[in-house]
This record gives sequence, C-alpha cells and structure tokens, in this order.
Amino acid sequence: MIMGVAGSSLRLNLLRAAGDTWCGAMNMSEQGETGEAITILLVEDDAPTCWRLQDALVKAGYEVRSAGTLAEARSALTEAVPRVLLTDLRLPDGHGVELIREIRQRFPDTEIMVISALGDEESVISAITVGATGYLLKDAFPTDIATTVRELVAGHSPISASIARFIVRRTQGAAQSGAEPSPGPVLNTAKLTPREIDILWGIAKGFSYAEIASHLGLSRQTVPGHIKNIYRKLEVHTRSEAVFEAVQQGLIKL
Amino acid sequence: MSEIAAKAPTRPRRRLIVSRLVPYLLLQALIVVATILGLRLLQPSDPDDFAVSGFSLREDGATRPVTLPHFTSSRYSLADPPLYTGAFTFRRDEAASAWSVYLPRFSNAVEVAVNGVIVLDSRRDANANRPDRNTPQIALIPASLLRDGSNEITVRLFVWGPLKGFLDTVYVGPDTALRPAYETRTLLFVTLQVVFSAWQSILAVILAIMWLMRRREPVYGVLAVAMVLGVVQAFVPPPVPPALTPRLAAVLLASAPTESALIVMFGVLFFGWGWPRYGVLLFAPGLIIFVVGLIAGPPLPRILFLTLGIPMVGICLFLMACVTATAVVRRQDAASFTIGCAVTIVLTCWVHDMLSVFEIVTNERIFVSRLSYSAMLVAIGAGLTWRFARALNQVDSFAGQLVARVREAEERLKASFVREEERARAAALANERTRLMRDLHDGLGGQLVSIVALSERGHEGATITDAARAALKDLRLVIDSMDDIGGDLMLALGSWRERATAQLRPHDIALDWRVATPQGLPLHPELRPWHVIQIVRILDEAVTNAVKHAQARNITVIIETLDGDQGPSGVISVTDDGRGFAASGNNEVTGASQIARGLRNMRSRAARCGAVLDLNSDASGTRVRLQLPQIFPDSDAAGG
Repeated sequence: MIMGVAGSSLRLNLLRAAGDTWCGAMNMSEQGETGEAITILLVEDDAPTCWRLQDALVKAGYEVRSAGTLAEARSALTEAVPRVLLTDLRLPDGHGVELIREIRQRFPDTEIMVISALGDEESVISAITVGATGYLLKDAFPTDIATTVRELVAGHSPISASIARFIVRRTQGAAQSGAEPSPGPVLNTAKLTPREIDILWGIAKGFSYAEIASHLGLSRQTVPGHIKNIYRKLEVHTRSEAVFEAVQQGLIKL
Repeated sequence: MSEIAAKAPTRPRRRLIVSRLVPYLLLQALIVVATILGLRLLQPSDPDDFAVSGFSLREDGATRPVTLPHFTSSRYSLADPPLYTGAFTFRRDEAASAWSVYLPRFSNAVEVAVNGVIVLDSRRDANANRPDRNTPQIALIPASLLRDGSNEITVRLFVWGPLKGFLDTVYVGPDTALRPAYETRTLLFVTLQVVFSAWQSILAVILAIMWLMRRREPVYGVLAVAMVLGVVQAFVPPPVPPALTPRLAAVLLASAPTESALIVMFGVLFFGWGWPRYGVLLFAPGLIIFVVGLIAGPPLPRILFLTLGIPMVGICLFLMACVTATAVVRRQDAASFTIGCAVTIVLTCWVHDMLSVFEIVTNERIFVSRLSYSAMLVAIGAGLTWRFARALNQVDSFAGQLVARVREAEERLKASFVREEERARAAALANERTRLMRDLHDGLGGQLVSIVALSERGHEGATITDAARAALKDLRLVIDSMDDIGGDLMLALGSWRERATAQLRPHDIALDWRVATPQGLPLHPELRPWHVIQIVRILDEAVTNAVKHAQARNITVIIETLDGDQGPSGVISVTDDGRGFAASGNNEVTGASQIARGLRNMRSRAARCGAVLDLNSDASGTRVRLQLPQIFPDSDAAGG
C-alpha cells in the first residue's frame, strides 16, 4: 500500500523533472587525484577478462593484485587487506559469495563489488545479500571501470535500473501477498523506507539521480548514500542477527 | 429342432418351481401338524372333581335326561329357551370358603339359577355374547342360597340361530378351586383377544400413515382398511337379541368376509402383482351380507353369514395361501415365507372350527380362527418391518455408493485438472522456448556469426569489438525482457536508457531523455515480454542508425501519452540531429542496404505489436515515432 502511494507521488513529481539531464553514477566526470594507493584485490578466473580489468584499474592508478581462485584470494588476504574487493561469482574452487561473506565479516571496511558478465539480478542480488555494495560489468569501458571503483570508495554505490526494478517488484510482491514466493534469490525488503523505495522506483524507470533528487526534494549528493543504505538493508547479517536473537532470548547476558 | 428349443427353457423352470414348492409345502404340512398339536396341548383343563354333568332338559314341552356337554337344535326365538335342571350336594361343615358356579363354554347365552334364584345372566357381558370368543363365565353363589345337602341348579340356554346351542359341563364348587380354570380361559380367550386387537389397531394407524405418505402404494391403504374393520369388529359390542340394531349387526357380520377379501387383495399387491378386475367378486359376499342386513331383520343376515361369510373366509384364506406359495416360489424372500406360514396356521384353525361347527370332530366347541388370526397380524407386522429395514439398507447403500461415486469423480477431476495444468505449463514453456529461440536468432545469433566472419577475415579489432558488444547488449536485452514488469513499459525503458547511454558514451553522443507526462506511459496489463523485446529492438535500431550512419551528435528520446478517442496511447520518439539516412544511402552501398534491412525490420516489429511506426528523415536529422496501441495484440501472428 505504501509502495503504491509512494510510486504515484513520484510519478507526479517526475513531470517537473522532464527536462533534467542524465547524470548517472557511472558518468561522474570529475577525475580527482588518485594519489593514495588504493589497493584492490581482483578475483577472476578468466585470464583475458582479468587482464582487461587489471589494465583499466592499473591505468587509473590503483594498486591491483589478482587471484584466479578462492584459495589464491585467501592467501592474498593473509598478506594484506585490500581496500576494494572485485570478485567473480563462479570460481574454479567455489562460489564468490563465500568470499564476499567472509571478507564482509572479517574486514568490514573493505568495499566489495561483484563482477558480472550480464549484470543480471540473480548474481547481483545474491552478492548484495551477503555484503556486496555494487557490481561491475565485465565488458564495461575502461573509464567506466575506474570511475565505478572510485565512486564506490567515495561511498557511492552503483545500481542499475534492472536491479532497482527487481527490488521494487519484490517489495510489491511482499505487500500484496506472501502466498507464492517469486523466483530468484531470497530478498527481505521489509527494512526499506518508503523514501528508499521511491528512489528505487525512479531508478527503475530510468530517471537520473538529479531528477530523482529534485522530485523527492532531496539533495542530489544524498542519493548515492541512500543507495548504499538500501544495499546494507538488504544484507543478511547472519552473525549479528544471531547475536541479537540470542540476547532477545536471554542466552547471552550483556 | 425348434420344438426342442422351445421346450428346453421350460423344463429347468418347472424343475425350479418343483424344487422350491415341495420344501415349502412340506414345511406347511409340518406347521399344520404343529398347529393341531398345539391346539390339543393348549386345551384348558377344568376341575373335574366339581363337574355337574347329569341334567334333565326340558325343551319344547318335553323333558329328558341329558349329559353335558350337550348340543341343542338351532332356534331363532328367545322365548321358551331350553332349560337344564341339575342337582349338586353341598356340605356346610366341609365348606370353608364361598362356592361358585363356573360355565367354561356355552352358546349363545345362559341364565343360571341356584335353588330358584338367578345368580348369573351372561347376556349382559358383551364378550360372552360372541360365539367366536369362547368366553367362560363364573358367579359366586350367595351362602344364604345354599342348603345343606342337595341343591338344585337350573340353566336356561338362549340360542340364536343358525348355530346350534351348546352347553359344556357345569362346575359347582369352592370358588378357590374353580377360579384358576376360569382365569386361564379368560386369559386365553378374552385378554389375549384384546391384546391382539390393540396390536391390530396400532397396525391400522401405522399403515394408514404409511399410505397417506405414499399414495402411490395402495397396498398399505388396503391393509389399513382391513385392520380398521378388524378393530371395529373386535371392539364394538354385538347386539344381543332381541336388540333393535340390525344395521350394526349387518356391519359386524359383513366385516369378517370383507376383511379376508381385503387381506387377499393386500397379498396380491404386496407381492407386486396387479389386482385383477374380477377380484372385486371377492367382496360380493360381504356386500350381500351387509345389504341384506340393512334391509331384512334377523335372523336372515346370520344365516347368510354362516352360509356365505364363513365359507368366504375359508376361500380367501385358501387364495391367500396360493398367493403366498406363488410368491415363495418366485421370490424366495423372508416376507413371503413368514406370511405364508401365518396363513397356513389360520387356515388350519379355520378348518378346525368348521369341523367343530359341523360336529365332525367332537370337542368342547372352542373356536380358534379369530385367535389364530393374530399369527397373521404378527407376520404382517414382521413383513412390513422387514421391508422397511431393507428399504433403509438400500438407502444407506445408495448413499454410500453416491459418496463413493462423488469421490471417484472428484479424483478424476483432480487428475484431469493436474493433467490440464501440466499441459498448459508445457505449452507455455514451449511457446517461451520458441520465442527465446527466435529472439536469440534475431540478435545474438547473427552477431556471433558476424564475429566469426570478422575474425576469419583478419584483424579488424574495432569491428569485432562492436559486434561482440552488440551481442552482449542483445543478450542483456533478452534476459531483461524476460522479467515481469507488471505492464509498466517505463520499467523496460529505464534499463534500455542505461544500455543506450553506455553504448553512446564512447561515441560522445548525448542522450536527451524527456518524459512528457506524469504517468510516463499508460499501463498495459496485457503487455508480454515479446512485445517489450520488439519495442526495445526498434529503439535500438533507431539509435544504432543514428550512431553508425547519420553521425548524429545528439539523440533525444521523448516519451509522451496522447489522449485519443478510445483512451490514452503512448508515443515514443527517437530524434537525432544527423544527416538522415536518405543522404547516407548515396555514399555507401553496404550502409544503404543495411539501413533498408533495418527499416524493414523496424516496420515488421512495430506491426507485430500493433504499433504504428513513422519515419521522417532529411538532411537535418531523423525522427522515428512509434505510436503504441491501446491494447497490445495477444498473438504475434498479426505482422506475419
């Protein structure tokens, strides 16, 4: 019900925004200094793809280490903790989701992004629910790759229209009836606020952050932060939620 | 040959009849023997020590000594009845208790006097006036009447013909010795009769109700009438001569033959046969007695009753026996057996009574027909109950069968529903596969082939890159279009904007995105993935043309909703500021043919979704205008 109202109010606001220009997260044109060596761990088993991404990132001034398997990635983690983790999901010795969950729990400060060939909801959402805050297309242009990583480090999480659409369709489905679960990964959208859902609606319909911000009466700069919050809310905090449950049930005394 | 064929089925049938009839007849013979034995055994015993049997009879002016029991001739006048005079000895010192005079059987009425004083007149007892009831009489002799030594007892026997008068042995003695015998006879011949008559009245009520509820079955009505007649006959006091109610007498006399005729009718109907028209003749004797009784005074009706009514009862009983025997042979069921046995008992008793009336068998003139009729009543009650219980069982089993059948039908329905669902799912899957194949063939397949061709020709890196990117883009489009967007085309266009922007960025082309109305585009609940894919491919084609062939710098996408006569319809326009494809055609031959093919594709895709495509191209730019239909077509056969 809330979703429906929020959606319609957004649609009304969009009238005023019709003339705005596109200014997506991937299109940030400000090329700041990349002086501080930001370390990136790149986990990708396909060598050409790995080279391609590594070239683009190194060219942008990042310090990149690459790994082809989960084992290599884990051994790399013992040497140094990266600022950013970029990982593929299908790896020869396991699934990238395991690595994401592990790093999210051990090193909360590390930004995690999933590398996807198609950017489909199946892979991206499953990565988000274990702690990833963005995704990177394997065939993205080199400049876009660098920009996306920089934005991520700056606290701006990228989101695609199809991912936003998937999430808002899920909130609708949950509001209508829980009788028949939709296919795809499990997603708990209960924590999202109406404003966040409005933002997702705007993204799903192809509006830019600037357009969304003006229609919802927000500052343009706060929209990426909202996206990151949305990602965080969709994450399943297995350990912390377990502790909360234990406290609630009196198993642990604080 | 034909004779043998005709006879063949009759022989086993006859054998079947014999095999069924013989055991039944043997059983009936056994019942006859048992009935006769029963009648002998049930003969009440009287206290013979106090019997007074030596009497002198003064009749018609003549006096002669007789020994009781004694029959007198039939007479039709109550005046000057036969007078029996006898003597008994009374010893006052021996007598500890009161003395009584006890008459076990007489017909039709007695007036008893001791020492000239009347102590008993049976005419005042309604039951005693019925010759068919064997009612005994007892009377205390007042002590003051008795003299020490010899006493005189006189019995005046009133007889109303045509039946002969009868006086059984008279007993005079202490009341304590006589009364048990009297009580036994009363129980047998009076109380039991009343009990059975009560039972008959209950049957009459039950049958009447049954007939009222089931008018289609006259059998219950017939039996109810018979029962009512029986009850009336049993409870209405008979008129005692010289009573002046001959009409009532007529009714009572006519009741027995009518009742037996009704019982025969019941038998015929009960066993499921039609009542023949000449069957009415059975009611004739009863009717004759009734009419004669109404017109003529006594004793004619009584004579008629004896000569017409009683034989009629016998005939009816015999008919009934035949009916039940046939039923037993044909049906072999419990009801016909029970009623058949009861009829045999009654018939045996009737014969017994006839032999008694005609003094062929000498006994104490005890009539048992009416009493044995109770066996018939019990059999009828049992037969009806049996039939009722069987009907209930049939209803139960019918209900059970119905439940089972409904369950079966339900199972079948469920199975067919599951089958139908599976079939529908399979059909949907097949359709989807077909669509996916076509979509992949249209885009990805061609692009991959193009990549192979380019790779084989040598190093044309940039072109291979473009082709591969186009393939990836198309793959994303196909995957994207599979998603459920709930009829909101804007959600599909949002993804497309992203992909188009990414595509245009390396070419330094700006994508201007304008949404003209608040709704964006009208909602289309009937929108299917294959509609979305066609529309997005048209837009893709427009953008690709602008980039590849028109060298545009700016591309503007305008999304608006027009309010038409039949409701709103969406319009999507893609405008570029390039040099138009008409001009480009002159420069490059391959480019022209590509454009031509692209345009043909766009038109056919638009037609398949029911959309209208407008193309305007000149040197200042190209405008592709796609007007969406109000309702998207269900099948894509429209465009061919």
